[in-house]
Amino acid sequence: MEEEKFSPEDSFRLIQSMIAKAKNTVADDSFYFLLWGWLVFIASLAQWVMKVILHSPYHYMAWWLMVAGVVASIWYGYHDNRKKKVKTYVEEMLDYLWISLFVTYMLFSFIFAKTGWENCSPFYMLLYAIGNFVSGRALKFSPLVWGAVACWVLAVISTFTDFDTKILLGALAVFCSNIIPGFLLKKKYRKMQFDVQRS
Amino acid sequence: MFKDLDPILHSQLRLAVISLLISVKEAEFTFLKDKTNATAGNLSVQINKLKEAGYIDVIKQFKENYPQTICRITPAGVHAFDDYVKTLNSYITHQHPEKPVQKKTDPSL
Repeated sequence: MEEEKFSPEDSFRLIQSMIAKAKNTVADDSFYFLLWGWLVFIASLAQWVMKVILHSPYHYMAWWLMVAGVVASIWYGYHDNRKKKVKTYVEEMLDYLWISLFVTYMLFSFIFAKTGWENCSPFYMLLYAIGNFVSGRALKFSPLVWGAVACWVLAVISTFTDFDTKILLGALAVFCSNIIPGFLLKKKYRKMQFDVQRS
Repeated sequence: MFKDLDPILHSQLRLAVISLLISVKEAEFTFLKDKTNATAGNLSVQINKLKEAGYIDVIKQFKENYPQTICRITPAGVHAFDDYVKTLNSYITHQHPEKPVQKKTDPSL
């Protein structure tokens, strides 16, 4: 960039172009949506198969898969943070949101372990909905918002079903809220990277 | 009478740096270099001028044994940028005065 005299109009154009460049610096958050989406989806189906088909009393063991999610998230987050060259206010706010949801998720699990798991699914779906809705609005990415709407609808429906159906509805909820938006977010990020390289 | 444009900000590269930093929480030197297409030497000089004016904070540290420079806009920098944009606006409004907006009136009144 050369140093030269420039007019007020040039100044405005420069400010606009730099703000636009900074706005295009969106981190690829699809990893977390896909990781947790697939883990919860697989755990839900595994629990359903173990409970309904295999009649195993240990069907809840499928949820130990979540430990792998925590380890993978910490590992990925640590390495991703080291690579990042810029930190935006939106990213920071979303980090706090997902940390608070994770803590709430753990506390819900503690409460359900004491009171019984029969009605846990709608509450977990509502947590997915909050995370998706806020992330979707903050990132201006509507598939996440529609995922949140799907979770709200499925949470209401699941209150009228038995426990086995609730498990399947939980799998459907993460499919709509995490897996589909996760793939679309990854696609959007790759397209943005491609556009930046071309420009 | 027009207020003078802040000479610290009225420079292409310094204005580009401040415009980038106002949009993010913090950015590495390499990010600013990529986005502004400036040379490392020139960018370093301009960053120092912004730092001396108190418009940005510069944090130097090591990451994986390599030096890392992180820049962050200060409240004084935000204020100066805000003032600069307001002054620019007044220049542009003076150069291209818009036609006064005619209020629609209700013919029935």
